[in-house]
Amino acid sequence: MNPHANMIIMSSLILGPMITITSNHWIMAWVGLEINMLAIIPLIAKQHHPRAIEASIKYFLTQAAASSLLLFSIINNVWNTGQFDITQSTNTMSSTMMTAALTMKLGLAPFHYWLPETLQGTTTMMTLILTTWQKLAPLTLLMMINQSLNTSLLVTLSLLSMMIGGWGGLNQTQLRKIMAFSSIAHLGWMTMILTLSTKLTLLTFYTYITLTTTMLLTIKLLETNKMSTAMTSWTKSPMLNAMMMLNLMSLAGLPPLTGFMPKWLILQELTKNHMTIIATTSAILSLLSLFFYIRIAYYSTITLPPNMTNYSQQWRHKNQQKPYLPLMIITSSMLTPIMPTFMMIM
Amino acid sequence: MALSFKLLENVFLSSKCHRQNALHPFCGPLLTNCISKLYSSYRRPGTSPDNTPLWKMNFSFENGVDWIKKNFGLLKKELVDHVKGPEGRGFEEYFLEQTRVVWEFRSQKDLDEWVVSSDAEIGGKSEAYLKLGKNNQTALLFGTLSTEAPRDGETGYSGYCAIRAKLLKGAFDTKKYYDWSNFNSLYLRVRGDGRPWMINIYTDPYYSHQKDDLYTYFMFTRGGPYWQEITIPFSKFFLSSWGRIQDDQYPLWLDKISSVGFTLGDKADGPFQLEIDFIGLLNDRAHTEEFAYEKYERNPKA
Repeated sequence: MNPHANMIIMSSLILGPMITITSNHWIMAWVGLEINMLAIIPLIAKQHHPRAIEASIKYFLTQAAASSLLLFSIINNVWNTGQFDITQSTNTMSSTMMTAALTMKLGLAPFHYWLPETLQGTTTMMTLILTTWQKLAPLTLLMMINQSLNTSLLVTLSLLSMMIGGWGGLNQTQLRKIMAFSSIAHLGWMTMILTLSTKLTLLTFYTYITLTTTMLLTIKLLETNKMSTAMTSWTKSPMLNAMMMLNLMSLAGLPPLTGFMPKWLILQELTKNHMTIIATTSAILSLLSLFFYIRIAYYSTITLPPNMTNYSQQWRHKNQQKPYLPLMIITSSMLTPIMPTFMMIM
Repeated sequence: MALSFKLLENVFLSSKCHRQNALHPFCGPLLTNCISKLYSSYRRPGTSPDNTPLWKMNFSFENGVDWIKKNFGLLKKELVDHVKGPEGRGFEEYFLEQTRVVWEFRSQKDLDEWVVSSDAEIGGKSEAYLKLGKNNQTALLFGTLSTEAPRDGETGYSGYCAIRAKLLKGAFDTKKYYDWSNFNSLYLRVRGDGRPWMINIYTDPYYSHQKDDLYTYFMFTRGGPYWQEITIPFSKFFLSSWGRIQDDQYPLWLDKISSVGFTLGDKADGPFQLEIDFIGLLNDRAHTEEFAYEKYERNPKA
């Protein structure tokens, strides 16, 4: 890409969520979302492959629809309350519409259909940005208006997301689509606890970013996009392949890995608030996601010669060292024992 | 707004529009011999418009019940297959298979999965037919190619015949796709007459501006009594749109394949025959090419 265009796009991509996060005025927050959306469209379509173009159009249409719904809800809120302050969004109908708009931007069920297709059509790095950085601004807005959100609606959307995230990823063979459904399920966990404890939502979000970034960087380093090529990726880097298994277990939420920590705290918080049935349902629904994470780990790491696979070895390109990856792997695996530190901070 | 235009179009009872389009969204399954037009109201050129008046339409409640039973049955099967694995088969089978037969021709039902077309649709004089071969073991595509252009003052060229597999439909006529990402070659067992054919793979993109995109390659048949086993790697397929090869070439992505077709357009008048035993897929481990066509930067900077 032209370096000047690249500079403008990257700076807009960083600027957009920053504007949204730091604003108190609804219009400024909306402007930040728009800048962010427009900046990422050329990045999604960078390859110019027909599927990449299709992914960018799907992303644009969904985000534009969500932005227009958000703007409509903002105007409605202003009409009813007379002010643009984000934290004073008290009108019920506006809050509901804002919930719908922001969940559409995040890719929560039932507005999740665009996410797997968009992630599948683009590169691994763009998948990383779409699943991590792009969630920052909408989730921040949800956290800012959490006091006026309908808990029942959010819990319903969360449970639906966990169910669809688990069910949809069950027989996927493309790793980017699996990460999309993983994202949907994790967002379900984040929004479940939003009205009860925003700090837990934030902790879950940071943990999710760490795990997803580690996983996608591993996928990029191993140059594998499908489960079939993941089966032969151990020849490139056996240690990284083994760590990928740990990272997958962490994503699944198995103790004593990092991913278990937010799930444990969320279930504890739900139980404290007498939402035991919802907590139990969430724990059971996470088993669906666990199944496909274990499946990837089994086929990529546990299935080794002399059990011959059906796939030939891949081309071995020059290994692009990522010096921060070992640190991220440690962070994504070993944070649970220092959970009391996080509790104190929170 | 699009929905309001669609509704206006449907309820506008003029002699020039299809009256039954107004009913199809609501009671299509109840009509006898109703073809679902959920995707478009396209009428194939050469077919006469259906102007059956309303009072002559045969409404059948049984048809509606059968439609509901069939589609809920398909939905149940899809849900069960989703649990089993990709495309309803277990993961072990998915990972271990090296070959797969996708289309074979053993009965009329197999032939019904294909659509035959020729330039008769635009007024040409070619003919194409598809029937079962000897002992119901093969499909025989035969006919006559004529390059005589129709005299409509517009068309300058003519002379093509084609067959294409029908699109896969799921429950409630949802689109379904083939996932061929486990394979790297198309395998055909055919017996031709020496003519060159084009094989087209359609990936059914989501948006209409890409609907004419096809991935194409050539199949050169030998004449003679012996069967020909042709293996074409997917890396060889090039991108064309509306019949024109694109400057920017991209590899074929195999996770969302919609249809395969064969086209004959070699500008040679006369009869043709192509006998197809089966069309399958192959994971050729000796083939390591990812994409056959390199992209060169146009107007490179010095």
